[in-house]
Amino acid sequence: MSILTYIAGWPLLAALALIVVPRDRQKTIRATAVVATLISAVLAVKMFAQFVPGVDGYQFEQQIPWVASLGISYHVGVDGINVGLILMGAIVAFAAALCSFEIKSREKEFYILLLVMTGGILGAFASLDLFFFYFLHELALVPTFIMIGVWGRGENKNFATFQITLYLSVGALIALIGLIALYLQVPADVRTFDIPRLTKYFAEHTMASGAQNFIFPLLLFGFGILVSLWPFHSWAPLGYGVAPAPTAMLHAGVLKKFGLYGLIRIALPLLPQAAQSWAHVIAWLCVGNILYVGWVAMRQKDLNLLIGNSSVAHMGFIFLGIASLNLIGITGAVLIMIAHGFLAALTFALSGYIYQQTGTLQISELGGLCRKLPFIGTALIMAAMAGCGLPGFANFVGEATVFFGAWGKFPVVTILALWGALVIGGVYMTRAIRNVLHGPLPEKWNVLTAVTHFWRKLPYAILLVCLLVFGFVPKLLTEKINPDAEKIVSQATAEKLVAPTEISGARP
Amino acid sequence: MKHELFPWLILFLPLLSAAVITLFTLRCKTVSSLISIGAVAAGFVLTALFINANGFHLPVEQSETSINWLSIGTLSVDFGLKLDALSLMMLLVVTGVGGAIHIYSFGYMHEDRSMARFFACLSLFTFSMLGIVLANNFLMMFIFWELVGVSSYLLIGFWLEKPSAGDAAKKAFITNRLGDFGFLAGILMVWGLLGSLNFGVLQAGITASTLTLGASATLAGLLVFCGAMGKSAQFPLHVWLPDAMEGPTPVSALIHAATMVAAGVYMLCRVLFLLNADALHVIAYIGGFTALLAALIAVQQNDIKRILAYSTLSQLGYMVMAVGLAGPTPAMFHLTTHAFFKALLFLGAGSVIHGLHEEQDIWKMGGLKKKMPVTFWTFIIGTLALSGVPPFSGFYSKDSIFAQALEQGREHPAIGYPLFAVAVLVAALTTFYMFRLFFVAFLGEPRNEKSKHAHESPAVMTLPLIALAVFAVIGGFIGIWNNYGTQFAAAHAELPVMEQMLEPFHAPVPMACGLGAVLVGLFAAFVLYRKAATDPLPAKLGWFSRAMANRFYFDELYEATVIRLHDSIAVVADWMDRWIVEVVCLGTLRGGTDLTGRALRLVQTGNLQTYAFLFVLGVALLLYFVLGK
Repeated sequence: MSILTYIAGWPLLAALALIVVPRDRQKTIRATAVVATLISAVLAVKMFAQFVPGVDGYQFEQQIPWVASLGISYHVGVDGINVGLILMGAIVAFAAALCSFEIKSREKEFYILLLVMTGGILGAFASLDLFFFYFLHELALVPTFIMIGVWGRGENKNFATFQITLYLSVGALIALIGLIALYLQVPADVRTFDIPRLTKYFAEHTMASGAQNFIFPLLLFGFGILVSLWPFHSWAPLGYGVAPAPTAMLHAGVLKKFGLYGLIRIALPLLPQAAQSWAHVIAWLCVGNILYVGWVAMRQKDLNLLIGNSSVAHMGFIFLGIASLNLIGITGAVLIMIAHGFLAALTFALSGYIYQQTGTLQISELGGLCRKLPFIGTALIMAAMAGCGLPGFANFVGEATVFFGAWGKFPVVTILALWGALVIGGVYMTRAIRNVLHGPLPEKWNVLTAVTHFWRKLPYAILLVCLLVFGFVPKLLTEKINPDAEKIVSQATAEKLVAPTEISGARP
Repeated sequence: MKHELFPWLILFLPLLSAAVITLFTLRCKTVSSLISIGAVAAGFVLTALFINANGFHLPVEQSETSINWLSIGTLSVDFGLKLDALSLMMLLVVTGVGGAIHIYSFGYMHEDRSMARFFACLSLFTFSMLGIVLANNFLMMFIFWELVGVSSYLLIGFWLEKPSAGDAAKKAFITNRLGDFGFLAGILMVWGLLGSLNFGVLQAGITASTLTLGASATLAGLLVFCGAMGKSAQFPLHVWLPDAMEGPTPVSALIHAATMVAAGVYMLCRVLFLLNADALHVIAYIGGFTALLAALIAVQQNDIKRILAYSTLSQLGYMVMAVGLAGPTPAMFHLTTHAFFKALLFLGAGSVIHGLHEEQDIWKMGGLKKKMPVTFWTFIIGTLALSGVPPFSGFYSKDSIFAQALEQGREHPAIGYPLFAVAVLVAALTTFYMFRLFFVAFLGEPRNEKSKHAHESPAVMTLPLIALAVFAVIGGFIGIWNNYGTQFAAAHAELPVMEQMLEPFHAPVPMACGLGAVLVGLFAAFVLYRKAATDPLPAKLGWFSRAMANRFYFDELYEATVIRLHDSIAVVADWMDRWIVEVVCLGTLRGGTDLTGRALRLVQTGNLQTYAFLFVLGVALLLYFVLGK
């Protein structure tokens, strides 16, 4: 059995086990969830440490045929692209389970859904089979809607749930159409859902450019909606604004990266010509994310909406890295995916704590909290600084790398992105710090209690440490990402080996 | 231990100190401050030992030590240290002046409940500043550049409850970010055109003309200069520095006078090889303009720290101007002496504020000579040095800038001569506002209760004052000029102390102009302020005085233009997000679904005849399509 199966399997097993635990045993339920996510986090660290950079093919691979007639098999494995994502996902899931203190009603259902979400998304990242890749993502997505709908907060809850469900379902559906169309491009006798085999097939037999130009936008916009690509972003801030903190942590941090992973893993290498011709579109759409959503974030009066918008803005840098279609850009994109996962989880966890203490996230109501909540305040300042690209945190490495990658191809977009990263990001983050943490403490918040307990501090500390470690020693990630990013780039930019007319009759 | 390790230790000790304080000793004030002081003092000792063992000019192969930090395809970034006369001198300044200020802070911040946090931030700052000094490539420098920005942000906003401090911190951060935007764009441009980030490689390539920026050279140079504009607070990004005085006074001395704001000048000297003549001319003019603007504003300020802040701006203008006049040696010379006397003046001001129980208005002070003798005497030394009175250090460094301007005038009359005139005018203004401050705040009779009960500060605060005062006196002729000179010009002759003392006499014109300016400024200040109870200038100058007091309305101008513009774009974007995307798009989708549902409901009447009719209609249509064709 591959270690990957255990990483994704433990949370799912724990979810199954929780079904039989009586609902009044809250401590047992909680402990089960924490232990299960802890085990998969530890295993993920172990896997990350054992991963050998630059080895040809996938590592920790496991393949069990399932529906042979359709070419579906259970196939997991990692290379440099997803090894960091799985590590990030497992750690964020553990932090999210620890942060679930705030849930006070229907704990059993909540923890079951949380575990299903965790197992689903980790499985989706590990999958090398299109069917499981998509199915496990859906398995993680549906609990998100339920959790926001049932445990969400605020008066906007219903509208937000409606919107996020609608957007994400449509996005997933469009991506599904694209994936099926892709599947059908392979001649019937060799049809397979296996991603490595598909990649190999299309490397040898370039798809007709008509088909590429039909499928690529489906994948781009389908996956793009899942990642809140501008102008399909408005579900994200609203949804995260009302979501309970653990859900927002897992979704914004981990689940959202699925669409980006899909683009890098599937769309770029399999549809190289279309990727080339659509790169400009992606680059300009990402300006919408970075500048436009950045401006929107400047206006937010609710801390969670601000964080949500900033998280959408960060997606723009990843899209810019993807659009640059070169080694530096793609590596940078993967770096930001991982860094942003930790960061989004950290910020939502912190805002969750503040909400739990104060019952509000209206920025005008808050103020001066740093004196009363020194640990949370310091962590929030660090998170805000990481969010506006301060060196020392992993986000800076990713963003800087993306800028270097994109500079040659899209200088104007890069300049605009620089403005968004350095100036606009700086403005809304320092405004938030000024209004939430600095200034005199309003009378009514004298009742707040600071975090003292080890277990309550732990999730924030873990996420901060991860951001700092990868920010100080980015080589830990880049030396793993590099060789496989290079493969993807070489496929995405390869000259056509066979003329499109010839392949229609070709057989492997 | 091997000497090669010293630079790494010097760099990382403060970081270690910041980490240890944050993680373990936040509750213990004394231990925290001792750790922080220890780190910077150790840095100073190690630097001295290193220089003692190796001298200022290391052989080429030892002058750089690096490890690879990031390597992706063609992008390769080292974490590397560059050790030459420029960086070693700056190491001495940062750890030396910084060390004095650390010790002073121990006394100044003793009553503050967050003293441990203060020292953690100071250590973080020291680490970042040393990083800038030691960086051997552009991205490393940018990284520490940003870290310096954030530690300055944390320290300006150190008093969390004070709203003005929070606002000032935010303003400083964002204004610096504007400069960094240009800096990073410039770095990307240099990398895109030349393919390397390493200073040594770039310099060798550009000197040998194997690498060339071509037509983009001026633009690249000016973009890089944007970074200096932000950090060294040059016009038009100068507005943050005076507000930064909301931070504790030792912070103003360390960060906003002696070290961080000098980083821009240092960076320009480091990358001088990139700057072509056109870029240098722009830099010179911006520096000269800032020097004049800030000196004029300083004349009409009443807050002791703000006067010093505008004076810092003005002196930074001098340094930037000197770089622009192709004189890195005078620029660095002035940077170093300025670090001594401006840190001294700020610490002296802090001692006054401390002694007067947080009073900062000079018109509420007076008669401090007897009550605060050490502060008084060291402050006058600082004032004389800043004004450029011989033989104090400021005289020598300012004189070298004047001489540089005149020399440039021979080659580029349109640059050198006007800027020389500006420099002399600024020197007169400098003397004037400094002696205005001195006469009003220190001499005469105590003006209110607080100044009657003033008391001298404890020894932990006065000893650093004395140490800095010594260097403010002798800094002009102890070889600082030699060290920078040999860095920037291979043919530079090293002079013994006596000849250094007499060096200005070789060029009598600039020296005479400088001394004349000092006399004029001193005389004017004496006449106007020796016995003044209120400021006579507003009545004499009218609107111009109001404009000076109001900082020429730059804050208001920016508020009305740049900030307003960004905010209105944000309002529009937010509005679009709310209404167009959410209501229109989603509304159509929701409305469409709703309408379809309603339309379909019309069919579901529950009336059997209707169903039968529809059924027959359907069959008829089907038959028509199947059979009819």
